[in-house]
Amino acid sequence: MRSVVIARQKKLGRKTVIVLPVLYPRELLTAMGVHAVELWGPPGPPRSPAAGRLQGYVCAVARNALAFLASGGGRDADAAIFPHTCDSIQGLATLAPDFGGWEKPAYRYLHPKGEDRPAARKFVRSELERLAGELARLTGRPLELPRLSEAISLHAEIDRLRRELLSRRPFLPLSDAALYRLLRRGEYLWPGDHLEELACAARGIRDDRVRHGVPLMVSGYVPEPMSVFDCLEAAGAFVAADDYAAVGRRIALSPPPAEGDPLDRLSGMHFRMPPCPTRTSDTGARMEYLLSLFRRSGAAGVVLHVPKFCEPENFDVPAVFRTFADAGAPVLVLESELEAELSAQSATRLEAFVESLKFKGPSR
Amino acid sequence: MILRKLQYKAISCLGPGLLSVASRIGKRPGRGSAQGAAHPFGPPLESGRKLREIMSLHYLSGRYADGAVPVAWVTSGFPVEPLRALGFHAVYPENHAAVCSVKRLVPELSAAVERLGYSRELCGYARADLGCAVTGTTPVGRLPRPDLLCCCTNICQTVLYWFRALADRFRVPLAVVDAPFVYGEAKAGHLEYFADQLRGLAETAGGIAGRATDRGALLETVRLSREGSLLWAECLAAGRAVPSPWTGFDAFFHMAPIVALRGTKECNGYYRMLRDELNDRISRGVGGIGNERFRLLWDNLPVWHRLRPLSAVLAENGFNIVCSTYAAAWAEAGAAIDPADPEGSMARAYLNVLLNRDLPYRLSFMKRLCAESGSTGAILHSDRSCKPYSIGQVDLQRRLVSEAGVRTLLLEADHADPRSWSEEQAGHRLAAFMESFE
Repeated sequence: MRSVVIARQKKLGRKTVIVLPVLYPRELLTAMGVHAVELWGPPGPPRSPAAGRLQGYVCAVARNALAFLASGGGRDADAAIFPHTCDSIQGLATLAPDFGGWEKPAYRYLHPKGEDRPAARKFVRSELERLAGELARLTGRPLELPRLSEAISLHAEIDRLRRELLSRRPFLPLSDAALYRLLRRGEYLWPGDHLEELACAARGIRDDRVRHGVPLMVSGYVPEPMSVFDCLEAAGAFVAADDYAAVGRRIALSPPPAEGDPLDRLSGMHFRMPPCPTRTSDTGARMEYLLSLFRRSGAAGVVLHVPKFCEPENFDVPAVFRTFADAGAPVLVLESELEAELSAQSATRLEAFVESLKFKGPSR
Repeated sequence: MILRKLQYKAISCLGPGLLSVASRIGKRPGRGSAQGAAHPFGPPLESGRKLREIMSLHYLSGRYADGAVPVAWVTSGFPVEPLRALGFHAVYPENHAAVCSVKRLVPELSAAVERLGYSRELCGYARADLGCAVTGTTPVGRLPRPDLLCCCTNICQTVLYWFRALADRFRVPLAVVDAPFVYGEAKAGHLEYFADQLRGLAETAGGIAGRATDRGALLETVRLSREGSLLWAECLAAGRAVPSPWTGFDAFFHMAPIVALRGTKECNGYYRMLRDELNDRISRGVGGIGNERFRLLWDNLPVWHRLRPLSAVLAENGFNIVCSTYAAAWAEAGAAIDPADPEGSMARAYLNVLLNRDLPYRLSFMKRLCAESGSTGAILHSDRSCKPYSIGQVDLQRRLVSEAGVRTLLLEADHADPRSWSEEQAGHRLAAFMESFE
């Protein structure tokens, strides 16, 4: 599917850039006519022995990405962007381009760690300018600020629709699996095309409740394997609130200001995202956000879907336990390694968790 | 408050003398001291006693620091100079965690935080240190409660998660100095970003210390830091002599002052003494091991909980670790600090630490260390709980072999947690590696 989309975008004269997780300035790429195709692994067994260049205790996202790139999986792309999400992806950002596996241009997108402060805002802006310069060399055309302004509006509308689809989940006549397939098509569709699909789905939101069963909040890195949603549905549950780094955590909490220097507006977006451990957000602020999301959604429990060996996600697990224990909400930790299919053991645990919630009263 | 200050001052003034007497009275037979001809090591370093004294004093004075002076817990790569200039007592959780590991306390401490939900796959130092915070268990008596937590991301991003957890526990501010990763050379914008944050740090820390930075004190601390790094570099350079007057395992212990006391007179005084002793041993042909036949490089953190058996098995077979990327990292960057431009040079020095640099740099650094020291082999510790240091080692290993003709061994362990250590497997791998030299 992705190669078909890439071929179509190439025909339109657009350059394709592979982007590793998690956060990158989508608006900048769109404004410069660069087609972004995200690389979350991919799931399943590594595509080449190159995965062995990273030790078995490095997360599957980095290992599979290296194997995929080294196997020529990105041959249709023109460049790759490595955001500085964690130590592993930062390491991959030098390993693949410098020691083999990715021979085309490699751009690193560094974002600030720590709190919102003047130095951090200045840094984001300078990194955006640097990346814009690199993309200009790739595309042969410089960044035009009016185009960036349009792209900011386009992505703000995409975010609005994604937020609506997720927050009005009980009224949306789509299975979880279908909804997530739709949302994740944004990882490789041209934003304008993705917007049309989202708008079409949003028109289907009904006034009456169509989703029944045990509402859950899911939090984690990336919803893989996607069969987790089929399992939840079969067990009688549905996703009422999303906090996946790949999905909900990339929807800005508020739209960008309508006016002002587009680069400043885009820089500010970085600080309007939901708290996320991959951006080293304050743990207290994140717990407050999660609790609020949980309560708003009416969820009965939390599924913490964390990749094995993922330090950003794993460091927050105790705080999530503590926070939701205080709120009287059960938490299930589901560890995954980007498997192609949900293991029978994980499926049984999910079923048992949902079953236990059916017999439990509402959370505090 | 006044009592605490008096206690802190008394320990700082009288402690050295008392500890010196105590260490002479309680002197134990050290490694290599008159233990029979079969012992594989050379005579122990006399400086070892002084090392124990100054590190004991550091931890002893720490017991009385909170309430007497402002206390900061800092990461090993944090630009500590502005804090010292403001009179902070600096505590290094990484150094403390290494002590916990040597004392084999990590399984117990880690288990305490694993019960709270921390994964066993997380950094062993972090688990040990958080375990201390949760249980109150520490081999150093007591750690002072921090007024400020200071974290720099130049060694890893993990420290930020770890220090956030500490900030949450102690309810104190966390000062973050973010260090953008260096590809090739540090970019001007990144240096500026780092320097901007240093200025912010001075304000935050000054607010806690209740005073503004004394420029003279800062310049003096910066000067001491630079001098300390250069002295440490001289100590490490002694390892180039044949036979090397000490071992890399010695260096792992003797690096404690450059980590935890950087920017102080005590640190520099200690390294002068160590350097002189090493040079004296060189002039007398005294080696760190009895029969040095092969010279090796060590990459990554030490396996703290196995230093003794590892050093013994290597020494028994005539192998000496004469250089390491870990110990050398503290000599390389610090030398760039310059009192003529404190903020700018600190930005350069602390951005360019080994772990904040790309793999081509790390490879060239390892090749240089091997060439300078005459190392024909390298042990790369593949450290389960230190991903930033370990990522890329498979390629580094291959390139050291193919580009520098260095024999290599990738040895998997955890720097702090002995539960990840397989004695038999490691033994077989080491034996096969050593046989390849014969």
